[in-house]
Amino acid sequence: MTKPVIEVEALAKSFGDNEVLKDITEKVEPGQVIVVIGPSGGGKSTFLRCLNLLETPTSGKVAFEGQDLTTLDTKSVNALREKMGMVFQGFNLFPNMTVLENIKLAPMKVKKTDDAAATKRAHELLTRVGLDDHADAFPTSLSGGQAQRVAIARALAMDPKVMLFDEPTSALDPEMVGEVLNVMQELAKEGMTMVVVTHEMGFAKSVGDRIWFMADGYIQENNTPDNFFAHPETDRAKDFLSKILM
Amino acid sequence: MKKKYGLLLAMLVALFMLVVPMSTQHAQAATDDSLEKIQKKGVLVMGTSPDYPPYEFQATVNGKSTVVGMDVEIGKKVAKDLGVKLKIKSMSFDSLLVALQTGKVDMVISGMNPTPARRKNVDFTHTYYQGGYEIVVNKADKGKYKDKDSFSGGTLGAQTGTTQYNAAKKQTKNTTVKGMTSNSDLILALQSHKVQGVAMEKPTAQAYVSNNKQLAALPSHFDMSSSATSSAIAFRKGSTSLVNKVNKTVDQVKKQDLVKKSYLPTAGKYLKTNTVNTSMGHYWKAFLTGIEYTLIITVCSVFFGFIIGIILALARMAKGGVLKTALRWLATAYVEFIRGTPMMVQVMFVYFGLGLFVNLPALTSGIIAISLNSGAYVAEYIRGGINSVDDGQTEAARSLGMSNGETMRYVVLPQALKNIWPSLGNEFITLIKDSSIVSIIGVTELIYQSNIVRSDTYRGVAPIVVIMVLYFILTFTASRILNYFERKMQHD
Ligand SMILES: Nc1ncnc2c1ncn2[C@@H]1O[C@H](COP(=O)(O)OP(=O)(O)O)[C@@H](O)[C@H]1O
Ligand SMILES: [Mg+2]
Repeated sequence: MTKPVIEVEALAKSFGDNEVLKDITEKVEPGQVIVVIGPSGGGKSTFLRCLNLLETPTSGKVAFEGQDLTTLDTKSVNALREKMGMVFQGFNLFPNMTVLENIKLAPMKVKKTDDAAATKRAHELLTRVGLDDHADAFPTSLSGGQAQRVAIARALAMDPKVMLFDEPTSALDPEMVGEVLNVMQELAKEGMTMVVVTHEMGFAKSVGDRIWFMADGYIQENNTPDNFFAHPETDRAKDFLSKILM
Repeated sequence: MKKKYGLLLAMLVALFMLVVPMSTQHAQAATDDSLEKIQKKGVLVMGTSPDYPPYEFQATVNGKSTVVGMDVEIGKKVAKDLGVKLKIKSMSFDSLLVALQTGKVDMVISGMNPTPARRKNVDFTHTYYQGGYEIVVNKADKGKYKDKDSFSGGTLGAQTGTTQYNAAKKQTKNTTVKGMTSNSDLILALQSHKVQGVAMEKPTAQAYVSNNKQLAALPSHFDMSSSATSSAIAFRKGSTSLVNKVNKTVDQVKKQDLVKKSYLPTAGKYLKTNTVNTSMGHYWKAFLTGIEYTLIITVCSVFFGFIIGIILALARMAKGGVLKTALRWLATAYVEFIRGTPMMVQVMFVYFGLGLFVNLPALTSGIIAISLNSGAYVAEYIRGGINSVDDGQTEAARSLGMSNGETMRYVVLPQALKNIWPSLGNEFITLIKDSSIVSIIGVTELIYQSNIVRSDTYRGVAPIVVIMVLYFILTFTASRILNYFERKMQHD
């Protein structure tokens, strides 16, 4: 068997007295698409941010390709973080740069890629998300769907091994959700390992390999999509599904 | 006699004495080598405040603005008798004694009156000139007044902090005494009938009267002890050998009556050439120099202030271990301290205080002080700017593998600066105006130059109007340029 890309062991995270993550032990295998679902405030974002150490775990272990991140120095964490692309609910594009500059910045400053190579790669990625004609636009002139696709291209520019998505379509008008999900589906087809927090149940069913149902600081259920939606095992999951599928 | 001696400066001197008790005591305990030192150095630096004709004032000599006057003639003679070269350093009267004590100058000749209070801090030579007082009035009113006692029910003007001011207060009855900081302002008050007479030293009064046909001088009949109307040369405390040697020169000056026979006439000659043309246009070079220095100070201070501001802002936001916490506290304390003390005191502290350890020219000191000051304010703007950038920006950058520093530099700061550009622009414009504070340490920026022109031309208002217009042109141009860049950034 191949080595897991991400391994989480007894992960816990508190903000002061607020125990957000209590005890999480899970694995992500190469090429897997994990869909994390659960009630709002259940700690999904915090969990995702612990995976690339944007949030420092209170205790437990987060390993990437076998290496425990929690024991590394700042510099090595920075280096490992670039291998985990992240896409946010609010896009977080840099408003003072063009679309092209947004994508080129990290490769050029972090990886020291030269301008020509970075530009070429940025155009490739933009073509892939269908936005090459917007290369010189500023983010404020883009629609939400376009902005999120640029954000995906920006994360891909660092050639990550894993992509983390935190509710990438929640801030979008309904008619734009599809274009973003399509890009994500393409990515999954190409074999990208992905951890996706989403409320899009259709996407979870058709693209997800595993569903992690998260609530109250635990992964309550780790199941295949078919099983999860047809026969949820825990009462907590049944309750959640009955509410959102109504 | 000028007697101004700011409380502030007295306190600064006291502070320096506390800070460097070792070196001071050491200098006094050691055998007195003051004379030897000057002769070895070959240069005698004379401090003076050239706004007091005919004692000392600025005149255009061969197209160059030069300090002249009877005190300068005395200084030349002293240097010549010591066999050294004379170098003249101009500064405000208030700063002279501190400059002497902190080694910025070797001696002070500035119509200075050897009062007992001053004798505590410095050594004086014998007096080289015995003055007296007169009262300047409008010529039209000359018949109405006789002497100091004729102003009952009216108002007399005198330069604040001077001996004549105190005399006017004590020795007149029923008379209001109005103090102002400069004689040119007082003459202006006289001509606009805000005061009926101005008490001045005799040579100064004569200079005004001979240069302005609408004025006349009366005897004052103040009852003065001779020491209060006399001028002497000041040296650092404990310079006995130097003082003894210079006393020989002073005695000779007095014996031969050189002041009346030679020095005052020489000064008068400069006064004449100086006041032939009192149009502001004639002084365009002086104003140009003022603009030049105002701009140099402003631009340099904005530049360094900005760098200091960024460093301070980052230090104030440092989070983490003991070291970073200490850094944060230090930066916070610095910002609070600078914002809680007057810039004027900071300027004097840098010039005189740091001057004890390194000999910094006035311009450099001014730039350092204003940069340090501006940095504290800019730091607050920058901190606000950084806080105004959405956390998501940092997260996105960090998630791409960028370090804290790279995130700050490439993502957060550019956006922060764009947000605070208007505040930074305001700071720049404020500095154009506030840089005038360095005039007190003798930097020849606009205010200083205008004061020189005012005392040179005996015109009180015209130079003020000129620099008002000049300041406005500078700030207006600056704000147009800043607006242009602001609009350009908005397009992004
Ligand atoms: N930086 C933080 N400081 C304090 N509390 C936080 C912070 N981030 C998240 N939390 C808390 O953690 C809990 C889980 O939040 P989150 O991970 O965003 O949940 P979800 O993404 O599932 O909606 C919430 O109660 C939230 O208030
Ligand atoms: Mg969330």
